[in-house]
Amino acid sequence: MATKLPALATLNATDLVFAGEPQWLQQMRQSAWQSYTGMSMPMWRRTDLSAFAPDDMHVAVGAHAGQVSGAVPAGVVVMPLAQAVQAHGDIVHKYIGSAVAAHTTKYAALNTATWQDGWFVYVPKNIVAEVPLHLIQGFGDSTVGDTLVSRTLVVLERGAQLSLIEQYAGSGAIASVVSEYILGDGATLNVVSMQTWDVGVRHMGHQIANVGNDATINWTAIHLGGSHQHIEAETNLAGNGSRVDWTAASLASDGQRLLTAPWLRHVGRATEAHMDFKTVVKGTGYTTFDGMIKIEGGSSETVTRLEEHALHLTPQARSDSIPGLKIDPNNVQKAGHASTSGEVDDEHLFYMQARGIPRDVAVHMIVMGFFETVLDRIPLEAVREQVTATIAARI
Amino acid sequence: MELVIKDLRANIGDKEILKGVNLTVKPGTIHAIMGPNGSGKSTLSNTIMGHPSYTVTGGEVWYKGHNILELDVDDRAKLGLFLAFQYPVSIPGVTVANFMRAAVNAHRAEEGKDTRQTAIPMAQFRKEIREKMAALGIDEAFARRYLNEGFSGGEKKRIEILQMSMLKPSMAIMDETDSGLDIDALKVVSQGVNTLLQANPDMGVLVITHYQRLLNYIKPNVVSVMMEGRIVREGGPELALELEERGYDFIREEVFGNGN
Repeated sequence: MATKLPALATLNATDLVFAGEPQWLQQMRQSAWQSYTGMSMPMWRRTDLSAFAPDDMHVAVGAHAGQVSGAVPAGVVVMPLAQAVQAHGDIVHKYIGSAVAAHTTKYAALNTATWQDGWFVYVPKNIVAEVPLHLIQGFGDSTVGDTLVSRTLVVLERGAQLSLIEQYAGSGAIASVVSEYILGDGATLNVVSMQTWDVGVRHMGHQIANVGNDATINWTAIHLGGSHQHIEAETNLAGNGSRVDWTAASLASDGQRLLTAPWLRHVGRATEAHMDFKTVVKGTGYTTFDGMIKIEGGSSETVTRLEEHALHLTPQARSDSIPGLKIDPNNVQKAGHASTSGEVDDEHLFYMQARGIPRDVAVHMIVMGFFETVLDRIPLEAVREQVTATIAARI
Repeated sequence: MELVIKDLRANIGDKEILKGVNLTVKPGTIHAIMGPNGSGKSTLSNTIMGHPSYTVTGGEVWYKGHNILELDVDDRAKLGLFLAFQYPVSIPGVTVANFMRAAVNAHRAEEGKDTRQTAIPMAQFRKEIREKMAALGIDEAFARRYLNEGFSGGEKKRIEILQMSMLKPSMAIMDETDSGLDIDALKVVSQGVNTLLQANPDMGVLVITHYQRLLNYIKPNVVSVMMEGRIVREGGPELALELEERGYDFIREEVFGNGN
């Protein structure tokens, strides 16, 4: 039977003891709850905290509002995380919280203490998933809870390969979303993390990828929906020879405030990263790119490049860009950065209009072209077409 | 129909570049404009087409009953004007095929008609573009590449001529099409233009060039000389040869006098 937790303001540690959960998980929740109650609210300049006021949150208990769209690739384990705690307890115990630790932020602590929903995806050693896996996570029954607390754990063992679309869609109030991607040595993960929430949803996300030796993550982030978004994401290139190719497409139109804070951490030897983040703002839309490349002491032979580009379609639209680069060691092979922001290029418009293409059609084509290299990475054609159509309709 | 330019004046910023250009380009004519660097040739072609960086300060340009200076750039194109760019821009994420199809469909669209009715059928479009690419020696794979992105100078110019042959303009302006082309590419490009001329004998072509070289392949009926923002001399093909031989100085002396 569906129940819900008391509102956060009145929640006690004892409310977080759920029948049937193993001892280690109970302890994890209790400890995270302590962190949560002990931590002060974050000081954010660009995210409106009142949109995420946790005091009013009601979390549905024991619900699972996710679905697999299409087939589960052979050899891959996919199930709700709550179920995996029972069925694959050892693996979950080993990895949960290893990437997104509870004590890092107040909201990560809250997620760790209260999560009910989300996925477990496990690809055993040397298994190469032949077809992409598409997971869709929503809020579920609105009469039970208006808050989604979702935790997804994706583990690729040594040499495993998977293409994954992790989509958040539907209507609701506040979504607290944590994703952990664990890549063993030589593993390859192509992941599209995508939020296409309905109007009004507030998305609070923490995503971290831990990348092993010679492992590769091709990460595509697509941020289109909701009213507020605060996503802190990190790729931790811990392994020697680990790589990330990280792209993003964000579209904020009237009333949307979407913040993305990607961190790129170079830790191992000869790690390689390319980031290419693209943003379109329109109407009163507002985006923030708060990115950081951190080349840690002890790393060497790092190759890294950050590109971020923003297109403004209306004068009121706003995009803030705060790129950062911190280099500790003196042995870096290559580190580059490029950034642009502005309206659609007049020369492009002139060229297209000189071929008879009307201005509005030309703008449309230029914007779709701007996103094309990102959308092209969506591994399922039906999803790619749907996302493309969604964006096209909004421009 | 004639393209009639009357006392056209245009600025870049505060600087006057065109200082009263008078010129008529007749249909079925290849009309060359030659002139030294900085004489305003490219400004003329960009101003006719409506480039936003140039400000028209006076004059008129008449084509098919319109003073086209009052029209949007895309409406000028739909009247049948075509500018082959000296430096075509690249447009990331927009493939040659999609771009061409949008341009063809824009030309076919009729006021108030559903674009699905006027759009060129996909099969017909593919057949046409494939044939024209083959004729211009452009590899078919270019149709799927992003427009001009990473293309060589010669490839860009071929793509310009491909667009011209797909859109079949009634008045084409070729702005320094020979710049950056080796002799083989120049032959292919010229042949593309001549093929189009044979199929559309009423097409007018305004060929803007610094050198006579291109005119060996695209033979002009009329040659005008531009200097310091004006047309200063008009003649037949022999004028181009004379310029090749004697340079521009003799005309400069005749027009502006000696030493002042």
